[in-house]
Amino acid sequence: MDIQVSDVIVGLLMSVLGLIGLFMAAGATDDAIYVFGLSLAGFAVVFVLGLIRRHFDRQSGTMPKGTDYV
Amino acid sequence: MSDAAIQYNEDVVKKFVIAAIFWAVVAFLVGVVLAGQLAWPVANLGLPFTNFGRLRPVHTSAAIFAFGGSALFATSFYIVQRTCRARLFGGEALANFIFWGYQFFIVMAALSYVMGFSQGQEYAEPEWHLDLFLTLIWVLYGVVFIGTVLMRKEPHIYVANWFFIAMILTIAVLHLGNNSAMPVSLFTAKSYNVASGVQNAMIQWWYGHNAVGFFLTAGFLGMMYYFIPKASGRPIYSYRISIVHFWSLVFMYIWAGPHHLHYTALPDWTQTLGMAFSIMLWMPSWGGMINGIMTLSGAWDKLRTDAGLRFSVTAVGFYGMSTFEGPVMSIRGVNALSHYTDWGIGHVHSGALGWVAFISFGALYYLVPVLWKRERLYSQKLAAWHFWIATLGIVLYITSMWVAGIMQGLMWRAYDQFGFLQYSFSESVMAVHPYYVIRFTGGVFFLLGSLIMVYNMIQTVRSPTTARPAAEPQTGLPIGTAMAGA
Amino acid sequence: MPTKIEKDSISGQLTTGHEWDGIKELNRPLPKWWVYIFVATVIWSGVYFVLYPSIPGISGYFHGLLGYSTRDTVEADVAAVVKQRSVYMDRIAALPYDAIRRDRQLLAVAETAGRIVFADNCQPCHGAGGGGSPGFPALAAGNWLWGGKLADIETSIVFGIRGGHDNARQSAMPRFGVDAMLKPDEIQAVADHVMVLYGKSTVGSPAGAKIFAENCVACHGDAGQGNREVGGPRLASRTHLNADDRATVVGQIANPRMGVMPHWNTRLDQATIKSLTLYVHALGGGE
Repeated sequence: MDIQVSDVIVGLLMSVLGLIGLFMAAGATDDAIYVFGLSLAGFAVVFVLGLIRRHFDRQSGTMPKGTDYV
Repeated sequence: MSDAAIQYNEDVVKKFVIAAIFWAVVAFLVGVVLAGQLAWPVANLGLPFTNFGRLRPVHTSAAIFAFGGSALFATSFYIVQRTCRARLFGGEALANFIFWGYQFFIVMAALSYVMGFSQGQEYAEPEWHLDLFLTLIWVLYGVVFIGTVLMRKEPHIYVANWFFIAMILTIAVLHLGNNSAMPVSLFTAKSYNVASGVQNAMIQWWYGHNAVGFFLTAGFLGMMYYFIPKASGRPIYSYRISIVHFWSLVFMYIWAGPHHLHYTALPDWTQTLGMAFSIMLWMPSWGGMINGIMTLSGAWDKLRTDAGLRFSVTAVGFYGMSTFEGPVMSIRGVNALSHYTDWGIGHVHSGALGWVAFISFGALYYLVPVLWKRERLYSQKLAAWHFWIATLGIVLYITSMWVAGIMQGLMWRAYDQFGFLQYSFSESVMAVHPYYVIRFTGGVFFLLGSLIMVYNMIQTVRSPTTARPAAEPQTGLPIGTAMAGA
Repeated sequence: MPTKIEKDSISGQLTTGHEWDGIKELNRPLPKWWVYIFVATVIWSGVYFVLYPSIPGISGYFHGLLGYSTRDTVEADVAAVVKQRSVYMDRIAALPYDAIRRDRQLLAVAETAGRIVFADNCQPCHGAGGGGSPGFPALAAGNWLWGGKLADIETSIVFGIRGGHDNARQSAMPRFGVDAMLKPDEIQAVADHVMVLYGKSTVGSPAGAKIFAENCVACHGDAGQGNREVGGPRLASRTHLNADDRATVVGQIANPRMGVMPHWNTRLDQATIKSLTLYVHALGGGE
């Protein structure tokens, strides 16, 4: 398993952000924080899933068409 | 030199290019709606979230930060890799986070505006939680950009990168300074700024004016310094101008903010300072114009055939015009007439439409065929149509706002022979109505032009007519015809 | 990449010898006109700093050789305008309304002043030309709440209505619905009767007329003619303070809205208020 440092750091950062988002949504006293917190958590989940997907795509050499980096 | 050895991260550039085009249309559309509301108030629809007051920050943020910002990210990431011959620092995941995080910020900010949340500070409307999130994105942007510059394989740093670095550092300081606020609680989208009263106003316009200076001027000058020489195939007109105007620009700009607060509670000496530095800023601003336009000497004929380059050069022309108009308007006596009138709106839009949008269009017309590995743009003719329609839109916009603004200024200060105001405020509102309709028309033209660009770009990527001949040697890994996946 | 200085064949200039992604730079000197104008603006700013308020110190700032100050300037401008106005305004302040109206020139000045003061201060609520808007009286219509004589109008302007001034005109309509003073069907019956007074209905309600006589006549008059002593609106009229549909009438009985007008005596001087009074009086409803 050749895991990129960048993936790990960004993945950890996103996990922390997602948790912060959940806490903010849980305690929110207004709509703006509620929407922001939930969206941040959702964003973090989707982004980390994307990191995982791209990791395995890289390993199996099946990058999406048009993606021109190594 | 050969770039074949270096695998540039063009994926993130492509994403930002798509985002820039998308947000351009959004920003112009909301602008047209707002112009319509000003001419015909019934267009507010009587709903809270379609009200002018909530939609206005959606328009300004979409234009400056969503469209302008995405264009800056796209071009700066593209330029820094090419001119440093280094792949983007920090890996693919970090670049992707900057892209999606920035888009997330834009959507969240726009949502909060229409829901009625705002700090009430112009161009810094998002509340504290969004400010913190943007700070994270911006710091990581700085890490990636400056990291790439540090990893460069060129001995020298190209002038475009100076401007981008100046933008990144200064915007960080401005953003933190103007948004220093104490939240009511960690779960409430309401905060109080550390400064109040005239200090708050001063910090706001230190921020506001340098958002223009370092985001909309320095950043886009960086863009200009790459795409004009590339598209024209000519060397930069004068390296010495680059140096002198870069350092004088960044030194002078930071002082000019107080000219937004003439004849207010701001002390007279501070007003004088802001005004004098705005006057001294004239030539430093024009240094960029000279280098932008005169770089074409020897290649003027390309303006006839390359609509993208025509956008870039016209942009520099508008840049020169608005950086002359700005110092004039900063003079206290002129400001007494122009301030609070639509002249200010016209001035901003000659910069925003003429300079920022046009220089971005020029870069986008250059970048899309290159990034998607196409032979050429789908249609130079359509790009030319975009150019002329958009130019006509700008002319309608700024001339109508000049007339409206000067008329407002004169009506507001007119006294009759007995010493009473000659016109009421409501009479001045009625008087500008025809010019608001003309401005609306100009906005519609500009929006139409951008839709032509969208079609042209999609066709450039999709149409078989723009495909490269197969035999041509290519750099990079397998070339796809589809747009980049997520 | 090593430095390689070349000569540009088109301009004849030398390059700096650097190259980035194919971009080169000419080592052309600064244009002279650019340098001269730049230096000129710097010198101009230096002179300006000496003449005008500029450099801050620990306590205070350098005021400049000209002694310029934006506050002094605006105070001088305001004083000049006040002086210009005083030629007529002092006489308007001193003379009674009858005397002002006899002096045609003085009346013209008063109405000129009144027009602009009205448009900038009163028009947002009372509408252009005093046309009114729902909840805000139409001053041109003649259906006065507190009287349409010059003295009545002046009192309304000076002290305002429910605006917090000690001498403000005061009146309050009871909340017949919210405070359960009338039952819902009684409110409907009164509304039927009021619609007859409005002249918008011929189907009256005997029960409503009885309730009206018991509860409403003190302020609105037995035939709905109103009562200016207490600011009771005239109901037997074609023009009304609020919308004249039945639903609005029901709402106004159940939970009435009552407008507020500021007192202007702290914002406008006496001569201006008199001018305004004459202007409002002349809008079409003056008595």
